[in-house]
Amino acid sequence: MPPVVRLLAKRLGTSLIVLVGVSMLIFTIARVIPGDPARIALGPNATAEQVEALRERLHLDEALPIQYGYFLRDLSRGDLGISLYTNRPVTADIAQFLPATLELIVVAGLMMILIGLPLGVIAARYRGSWADHAVRIFTLLGVSAPSFVWAVILMLIFAFYLPLFPIAGRIADSYAIASVTGFLTIDTLIAGNLAAFGNAAWHIVLPAFALSLSGIGQAARLTRSNMVETYDKPFIEMARSYGFPERRIARRFAFRPSLIPSLTIIGLDFAAMLGNAFLVEAVFAWPGLSRYGVAVILRKDLNAIVGTVLIISAMFLLVNIIVDLLIAFINPRIRYSQRAS
Amino acid sequence: MNRISKSLAAALLAATTLGAAPALAETVLRLDEVPVGELDPGKATDYADSILMFNIYDTLVIPAQGGPGYVPHLAESYEADGNDFVFKLRQDVKFQSGNPLTAEDVVFSFERIKALGQGLSFLFKNVDGAEKVDDTTVRFKLSQPYSPFVASLVRLPIVDKKLVMENLGEGDGEMKDWGQAFLSANGAGTGAYKVVSHNPQEETVMAKNADYFLGVADAAPDTVRFRYGLEAATVRTLIAQGEHDISSQWLPPEVLKSLAADGAQMLKETGGGAFYIKMNTTKPPLDDVNCRLALASAYDYASGLKMVAVTDDVAQGSPATGGVPVGMYGAKPASAAMNRDLEAAKQHLAACKYKPEDFNLEISWIGEVPIEERFALLMQANFTELGIKSEIRKLPWALFTEQVTKPENTPNISQIFANAVTGDPDTLLYPMYHSSAAGTWQSPEYLKDEAVDAALEKGRAETSDEGRQAAYTALNDRLMEIAPSIYAYDRQSIFAASNRVKVPALSDPAKAFGLDGFGFTFRLMEMTGE
Repeated sequence: MPPVVRLLAKRLGTSLIVLVGVSMLIFTIARVIPGDPARIALGPNATAEQVEALRERLHLDEALPIQYGYFLRDLSRGDLGISLYTNRPVTADIAQFLPATLELIVVAGLMMILIGLPLGVIAARYRGSWADHAVRIFTLLGVSAPSFVWAVILMLIFAFYLPLFPIAGRIADSYAIASVTGFLTIDTLIAGNLAAFGNAAWHIVLPAFALSLSGIGQAARLTRSNMVETYDKPFIEMARSYGFPERRIARRFAFRPSLIPSLTIIGLDFAAMLGNAFLVEAVFAWPGLSRYGVAVILRKDLNAIVGTVLIISAMFLLVNIIVDLLIAFINPRIRYSQRAS
Repeated sequence: MNRISKSLAAALLAATTLGAAPALAETVLRLDEVPVGELDPGKATDYADSILMFNIYDTLVIPAQGGPGYVPHLAESYEADGNDFVFKLRQDVKFQSGNPLTAEDVVFSFERIKALGQGLSFLFKNVDGAEKVDDTTVRFKLSQPYSPFVASLVRLPIVDKKLVMENLGEGDGEMKDWGQAFLSANGAGTGAYKVVSHNPQEETVMAKNADYFLGVADAAPDTVRFRYGLEAATVRTLIAQGEHDISSQWLPPEVLKSLAADGAQMLKETGGGAFYIKMNTTKPPLDDVNCRLALASAYDYASGLKMVAVTDDVAQGSPATGGVPVGMYGAKPASAAMNRDLEAAKQHLAACKYKPEDFNLEISWIGEVPIEERFALLMQANFTELGIKSEIRKLPWALFTEQVTKPENTPNISQIFANAVTGDPDTLLYPMYHSSAAGTWQSPEYLKDEAVDAALEKGRAETSDEGRQAAYTALNDRLMEIAPSIYAYDRQSIFAASNRVKVPALSDPAKAFGLDGFGFTFRLMEMTGE
């Protein structure tokens, strides 16, 4: 079996076990935290009979293992139940809200890679210069404040005082774009509406930047420190002695070995953004899964909590598998270790 | 500049240019609410649901504008016949689908709300059934005299039976899901606004119904975008930038204050409810009426009101005059405001069988309502002046609603905002003070008082305005005597609004409605074009 396939199989197997564990854990936690979900769902004016009827309908009057059995039975049919928050199937909610979050974090992830890595390379290559200091201050600011603080600051500066970017939402009200993929930037292109595409792209810049700032900082700082360390290695000295240009040394000999830890961090940050995006989504009124997840937790919407956590966990595992494969692709030693094992 | 840089710059420039929204010819009203709006009128309970319901659907009666009472709306007329009520329907009403309104639709709507058993269906507990007399006449059969019934009808939106039956979803029996799946995403009413789209996490978009039976003025908004879950900072920025028209009532006072300073209008809605500080009458020391009266006299009403002030002239509350909010049957006049009287408090405390040094009051506040913490601190300071010790406890709403189901678990003092869901005092006062209703979030007092029960029952049975006025006056007097609650202030909801919209029902008391949320009837609003 090729080593990469073996690695993939191993990771998929582990991920499945993790997912089952997560489902049991979240299923139990969601049911033991204080508060009656039926009472919360029906609102303050519901009568005791109405609450009791809903408890029965949700099987909340039965033992926890039996409830979990119902959950597994429904899950095997692709049914995550009805959300008490939106009164729709949880699968429909996830299908509607997940693409918005994915679109946001994909752009934020791209920003992390396209801004964070080059900044780290520049800082390492021009170590001790004003460029290095500027990058270090910028990245320190990025990692030292949470993304929602940046969200509010960026909104105030670039949407309020300098109204360059839109304040909220995914697209201007005047555009009606049919949802095909749920990714507005893609759907606008499918619709052949370039103006709408520009508008959607313009809407995503601020929230994605706010969300990515911490990741940009981490990626840049990690890349810089790894590259600085690599620059002190003998093979760099040898490359210099052979007369390779500095640009080539930086790109080929110093950057590539330094990429692996940065890639791991970017991968983890990318997956973590699925859960962490909620405050940025709240500030920019971005109708995504993170915001939905927080809303359903506050309302103790059991089905939706379990569904959302499972999806976020699955995405987390998926991103980790992709990162592992990428690292194996970049680093031959990992591939060989799989073959040896 | 190399080729890549040039291309990138060109693309960015194009995106900026293309990003500008095209000019709009139609008038658009944008407003927001915190929770997601429930479109299914059979499940509507909270403020967002009510706004949707009042615009997409109509009811047999609506609250009278500028005064108390109810006037026929989809009904042409109605009359009481013993315990029954008979309604004659208008014949010029069509649903948004084009189907005509008939008595069958009214019967279907009633049966549906009873069958679902959700939302405010409990309002119709005393109604045994509805029957079609002929195509334009409906009879509601009540099991006992119940004068708030007519008021309850503002919570019975009439749905298009034919359309719903064509769109039944999966379910058991002949009626399957009673159209729940369909009505959670679509409208089926006669209302002045149609549902264009509904995204439960983002917004509901509605458009003017040109065929509305009462007509809709040209100045009313063509499109309404009803947004959900916006952050206070976002709403503040959107209104300041002219991208939002009316805020929800849940903005913090300081945000409202800054918007008022920027020139935003402050719209007001009054009369529907009040802020009550509830005392558990089953546990020492508040099982002694003198201790309760001592606390009610020691509470600083004026400072409480200052805490919810937005500007010098506008506050999220007005002085309470008793257990019944000003404007309802039995309320005292606005001039009879409650005031602090420390001397009276000391006298009451002296008459109480418990001594201050022997007890420690538990003052709770709901974790989701931060302003209540300030009120808890105010009470603690006020009661300390009488030598009463207290501890403050934060309770999440979910835990609070569970705790109040048992009197021994219910805190000495709880704080709630309550309102009359139909505008009738019965829906506010009966669930709070009738002995049969004890043990809910509305009734943590566990009050058992025969005079209160008798007055509440009389309020339900009396059919004349004078009779009901007398019943609720007696109730209010009794509530003042036995002080199961501290009547902190009458609630006044404040909404910040841009100057692009005029909302007479929320700015002119002569055009106001005595029902929470009804002031958001979009057809009565005017877009100014500013």
